[in-house]
Parts: sequence; C-alpha cells; structure tokens
Amino acid sequence: MDSLLEFAKGPLFRFSFAVMILGLIRVFILSLINGFEAKSKAKDKVIPKNFVTKLTLGFILPIRAFRVKPVYSFISILFHIGLLLTPILLFDHALLFDNSIGFSWLNISLSGTIASNLTLFTISAGILLIILRISDKKSRFISRKQDFLWPLLLLVPFITGYVCGNVVISPLTYKTFLTIHILSGDLIFILIPLTKIAHCVLLPISQWITARAWKFVPEAGENIEKILGKEGQKL
Amino acid sequence: MERINRFKFVLWCILGIASAVAITRLIFGLGATTNLTDNTPWGFWIGFDVMGGVALAAGGFVIAAFNYIFGKKKFQPIARAAILTAFLGYLAVVIGLLFDLGLPWNIWHMVIFWNPHSPLFEVGWCVMLYLAVLFLEFMPVILERFPNLNILAKLHHTLNKIRIPLVVLGIMLSTLHQSSLGSLFLTMPYRLHPLWWSPIIPLIFLVSAICLGLMMVIVESMTSSYLYKKEYETHILDKLSKIASFMLLFYMILRFSDIIIRGAAPFLFVSGWGTYLFWFELIVSIFVPLIIFIIPAIRKNTTILYIGAITGVMGIVFNRLNVGGLTHLNNLSGIGTFYFPSWMEISVSLGVVSLAMLLFFYFIENYKVWDNKPIDLDSGHTAVPKFNTNYVYLGTTKVTNRIKFTFAFVFAFGLAFAAISGEKVYGEGFHKTPVTKAKGGDTLVIDGNRDNYGVQFKHKFHSDSLHITCVTCHHLNKPKDKNTQCFECHNDMYLTGDAFRHDWHTSAQGANLDCFKCHKQGNSKGKEYLHNMKSVTDSCTNCHNDLIPANSKTRLLKTYKTVSYSDAMHNLCIGCHDSLIKSDVVLKARKPDLALCSNCHIKSQPYRKDKIIFEGVQKNKWVVLPGRIK
Repeated sequence: MDSLLEFAKGPLFRFSFAVMILGLIRVFILSLINGFEAKSKAKDKVIPKNFVTKLTLGFILPIRAFRVKPVYSFISILFHIGLLLTPILLFDHALLFDNSIGFSWLNISLSGTIASNLTLFTISAGILLIILRISDKKSRFISRKQDFLWPLLLLVPFITGYVCGNVVISPLTYKTFLTIHILSGDLIFILIPLTKIAHCVLLPISQWITARAWKFVPEAGENIEKILGKEGQKL
Repeated sequence: MERINRFKFVLWCILGIASAVAITRLIFGLGATTNLTDNTPWGFWIGFDVMGGVALAAGGFVIAAFNYIFGKKKFQPIARAAILTAFLGYLAVVIGLLFDLGLPWNIWHMVIFWNPHSPLFEVGWCVMLYLAVLFLEFMPVILERFPNLNILAKLHHTLNKIRIPLVVLGIMLSTLHQSSLGSLFLTMPYRLHPLWWSPIIPLIFLVSAICLGLMMVIVESMTSSYLYKKEYETHILDKLSKIASFMLLFYMILRFSDIIIRGAAPFLFVSGWGTYLFWFELIVSIFVPLIIFIIPAIRKNTTILYIGAITGVMGIVFNRLNVGGLTHLNNLSGIGTFYFPSWMEISVSLGVVSLAMLLFFYFIENYKVWDNKPIDLDSGHTAVPKFNTNYVYLGTTKVTNRIKFTFAFVFAFGLAFAAISGEKVYGEGFHKTPVTKAKGGDTLVIDGNRDNYGVQFKHKFHSDSLHITCVTCHHLNKPKDKNTQCFECHNDMYLTGDAFRHDWHTSAQGANLDCFKCHKQGNSKGKEYLHNMKSVTDSCTNCHNDLIPANSKTRLLKTYKTVSYSDAMHNLCIGCHDSLIKSDVVLKARKPDLALCSNCHIKSQPYRKDKIIFEGVQKNKWVVLPGRIK
C-alpha cells in the first residue's frame, strides 16, 4: 500500500499532470487548426462573426442559461466554483506540488474549514446535477454512458478527500481512502484532455469551431425541426 | 507512406521524452539532469551534439565542393539534400549547445566580447557564419515556391548569382572550424589519452570529418530512399563510397603514422579502458567501412553498403565522444569521478537529432529538395475514407498524422517527466558561491613587500571613474599571474632615465667626440675586447671628475642610466632621512615622521595623523591597516 501511495504521489502524479497540461494545449491547438482548415475547404466562406462572438460570450457568462434554466445554472456554477477552487487551493495539494514538481503556492492556500465546507457544497451540487440530468427527458436523451460516469468519477476524490480530512477513521482505512483519492485524481488528470472535461479550455472556441466547421445558419438549432418538416413529432 | 509515418511516430515519441528532460534541465540546471561534474565539465553533449553534429554536417561542404567547385555534376541530384542535412545539422548543434551551456542566454556574448586567443571563439564565429551561409545556400529551395512575389523572386535571383562565392565561403569556414574543434584539445595533453592527443589533432579532425561527411551523405540518401520507397541512387552512391574509401585510407595512414612518430605506439598493445576504446573505434570507424567500400563487388550490394556507411558514421561520432570526454584522465586513471552520460543527456541529444530529422522530412515533403517530390496517395480531397469496423477513421493521412503524432508527443513527455526522479527535480542543486565586492571595498591598502608601508589603491575610482573593467586587471590569463601589477598601467613608475646624452656627445654641435674616445680597445680578465664592452668603456667620471660631490651617499657609478622616479624617492630620499633621524636626536624629537610616506603623500589618508576620514572604513573588516600607524 505504501509503495503504491508513493508511486501515485510521485511518478504517476507527474505523468498525469504533464499529460493534462500538454493534452489540453494539444486539444486546443488541434481544434484551432481544424477550424481554420474547415474554412479553407468550405465554399461559402462567410461567417456571422458578430453572432458567433455573442453566442460565445453568452456561453462563457451564462446569463442566457439563467433565463432558460435558473436552478440548473445556479447549481452548475456552484459546482464549478467548488470543483476548481478546492483542489487547487488546498494546502495539502500545494504541498504535493511542492514535493513532486518543485513549485507551489503554499502562501495563498485555503484554510481547512473553508475547504471542507466547499467540498461538501461541491459534492452535493454534483449529486444534484446528476439527478437533474437523469430526471430531465431531453438531457437524458442526449447523454451517453460516459456523461454520467465522468461526473461520478469527479466526485470520488472529493468524497474520499473529505473523509480523509474530516472523519476520524483507523489509519489503515485512512491510507486506503488516501490511495483511492490520489489514484482517482491522477486518473481524472489523464482523462481531462481526452474526454468532454476538456471543455475547460475548449469552451471559448466551441461556438467558433461549430460556426466555421459546420456552417450552421444562425438559430439553425431552433428551426431544424421546421426545416426538416418534422414539427411536433416525438423525439 | 506507411514506413515514413511509423518512423515519424517514433521520432515524435523521442522528441516528447527529450522535451521533458530539456525543460527539467532549463529549470533545475545541469546538476539535476547530467552526470557532469567539475572534474568532467565536458561530456556527451559536447562530444555528440557539438563535435559529432558539426562533423556529421560535413557532407554539406564536401558535396557542395564536388558539385559547384570541382564540376562533378554527377552529384547534382543529392546536392540539395546534402546542403539541407548540413543546415539542419548545424541547427541541431546550436540547439544542443544551448542545453550544454551553463548560462545559455549569454550565448551572444562571444559576438560582442571578443577573446581572440581562444579556439572556441573561432569555432563559435565559424559555426554562426556557416549556419548563415548554409541558410542562404538553402534559401533558393524555399523561394522557388513563391515565383509570383516580386521581392522574393528578386532575392532568389540574387542568391543564385552569388551561389559560388557562398559555396567557397562555406568551404573555408568549414575547414576552419572542423579543425579548430580539434585545436580545443591541444591544450590538454595530460588529460587526453595519448592515443588520441596529438599535435596534429586539428588535421585528424578535418580528415575524419570529410570521411564522415561522405558516409553521412550515403546514409542520409539511402535512409530517405528506403523510407519514401524511392529507388536508390546507385551510381552516385558507388561514386561516393569510392571517394570515401580513399579518404578513409588516408585517414588510417594519418592516424597510425601520427601515433608511431609520436612514440605512442606502445599504448596500442597495453590492456586498459583506453586501448579497448581505441581498437573498437578503429574497427568501427575505419576497418569495416574501408573493407566494404574498397572492394567494388561488395559495395554493389546496397544492404552491405548501408551497413558499412552507418558503422563508419557511428565510429567517427564515437571518436568525437572519446575525445570529448570518455578518454579523459578521470576515466582512465580513476582520479575523481568516472564519467558516463546519464539517460537524460542521451535522450536530449536524440531528441535534437529527431527534431532535425522531422524538419528534414518536412522539407522533403513540402519543397523541391529532390527532383521529384514524394507523392502521398492517401491525402487530398480525392481520397476515399476507408470504412473498417475495427479502426476508427480519423481522416486523411495528414489529419491522422497530426492527431497521432501530437498524442505520442504528449504521452512520451508525460512518461519521461514521471521517470525523472523527484529528488533530483526537487533537489536544491549546488550551493551558489556568493559573489562579493572586491576585498577592501572601495579602497585597498597594498603592501606588497610586507614592510608596513603600503600604497592606497582606490579600487572604486579605478573601476568607475576611469572606466576600467574588472577584466583589465584580474583576468589577463597570463601564466602564473593572478592580477595585473600597478606598474603594468603606470609604466613610468619604474622607468629608468638616461643621464648620458649619447647623441649630443658624439655630434659635431655637442662634445664632438670620437666613439673610441670612450669605447676603448683593451683587455679585461685576460681577454681581448673590441670597442663594445662595458668593462672596457670609460665611465662618466673619467672626464667629469667633479660629478660626484665629496659628501654624496652615492659613490659608485656603474651605468649612465638613472634610477626610476619611485626608486629615487623611496630608496634615496627615505633612506637618507631615516638615517638622519637615527643619528640626530634633536631632529627625532622635533620631526619624528620625517621618513614616513605621509610626509610627501599628504593626501594619503591611512598615514595621516588625524584618522577621522578613515574611521568609517575601519569598520570594514577587509581593510588591513599597516601596523606602524600611530
């Protein structure tokens, strides 16, 4: 167990961290290249720039989403804040970075109480999001198996981390939980650039890519049923 | 295109590993990545990247010389590829050097701060200029792609016009620094093994570089032909291997005759690390390729020719490694640490080579380096997607390659980053030696002969107001000299004067004396002398009877040269005053400081009676005060 823990903290952590950072850069650059190539291949080279810009900004600042689905959006924002702040700013994590990669931000790390509260928020928000996803018919229809799996996997390190930090347990259980915590964290790091979690860097250009690559007419999504002549039909 | 894509995939993997190590080296330094020590500051990166790389790129100037100067138009089809190889080789040298330099951001220093005594200075300049020349030689290939742009077309025309001067300049620069890389080792006859150290090591380096260049062109041509499934250029390869065999023969004769004439032949048969390395190197670099190249029947077989060329290339690169670090004193005698490159050093070097290869393939595929560009049947709009349920279709070859190669890079980078030991990465490295101000701070008391009479040296004044750099005094690199003496700048301090006006005495307007009036013929100590000896020449007192007063301290007049100004003051004046004080009791009571320096050097602060000015400096522990100050 100890050697596994050391391996997960040391080499595996460095590997997954490097794969995450470089993988995200790779995905971003590949998407950009694809976007440029799509335009060079297309016959109709006109792109509704203003509309695309507005749509992109709307995606990043979810004002539009608030109007459509206020509850879902609010929970989603809470979830994202917890998801980003807690793992990055926790003191122990900064220490891990210091020990295995050589740089850290020990000075600006969160205190234990705030971190554990944020973790609880994140876990509950995550579970709520999954429940909402299952309960909504449209969401369920467009979701694949992995779209349920990745959020659940994201919650694993949060739950184990909370247990390690706040619950009094036997040392052996503690070590098991810690190993699961670190291993799942490493797995998530590796999966980030390879799965839909890559939206953390792809979000700003996703609308741009869609507009360039697929040449959708503005508001095409809303009118697709009308254009196809399948208005009012079952999904 | 299967072969080339698989090969490129491997290259991208190596590049990924190398990038991880390179970043570690740039952030955490040489100590975290290499096995180099203060004992062996030069290792694999110098031996392989710089010296091997420069030698590998020798094919460029050899083929350019044959093609453009000697008019062997047979080599025309491979000339562009050879020049491209040379250009990328030198680029690899420069990139490799950046990792080996302790402070790589200071690489431009040699352009501004000249040290013309150093062979490395010449190598640096030559590599820089030759890289520029190679760039200009290769530029037409790139410019050909844009015949419609007016400026570029004009530039293309101009470059084609000045091609021959460029080639000549390239050959000149090449021969200069290929040999100078050897000259670097002239200064270490006691460090390098006697089988390698030689006074003609520059010549050995040049000849071996030409051999290596020819073999490298064979390897490069055959490898790219194999990868792109192109026909081998058999007639050119045959010609090249023939020339290479002559050069190798010459190299072998040069090497052995050098060893025998120098008297190092006994080392050939002593058992030891050095001798084994030597024989292995010779077999790989000379014997195997020579046997293969010299017999026409054998070299007709392309596989065997390839084996011969590639062993030869590796052998001569191995020679550079031997000279560059493996056969140095610490490895041979067990003094200090044994040096063998770490996996990180090797991976960075391989990564630089991979980068050069990938660039080579890029130029081959996109520019007219060969007469016919390699055609990729799978790419383009006409390509039909292959539907195979076992594989995911990623797109055309270009898109597939892009996805696969970047993924390979990222994955390999991660693996290498994981493999670098955390302790080394996190390690504190070497403790820095703190650099402090010169001892004595602003003012130094120099007391060379330890007689407690010092001279005040205003260090700050010299460095700031006079605009003298530190190097002027402290790093003249003269043997057995730590810093410059005062008199080397103030050279009139000890300059002797001439009291006897020779021309006036001989001229008609002056004393109008015959030479023989003073320079007499005579004998001294039983020997006959002509007119030029001092011992038979009259001294001044022979004519000027009253030159020395009766009560003078100076009695003897050996030469008509006067003592220097400082000697006159310090020896004559002070000596006299000192003896006066000792004898005269009244004078001693009234003027006890008569023989002290401060009597004349009024501004000389340490010797003043009121030491107020000096009090502030006294706290500085570096200022050494002479003991005789009251």
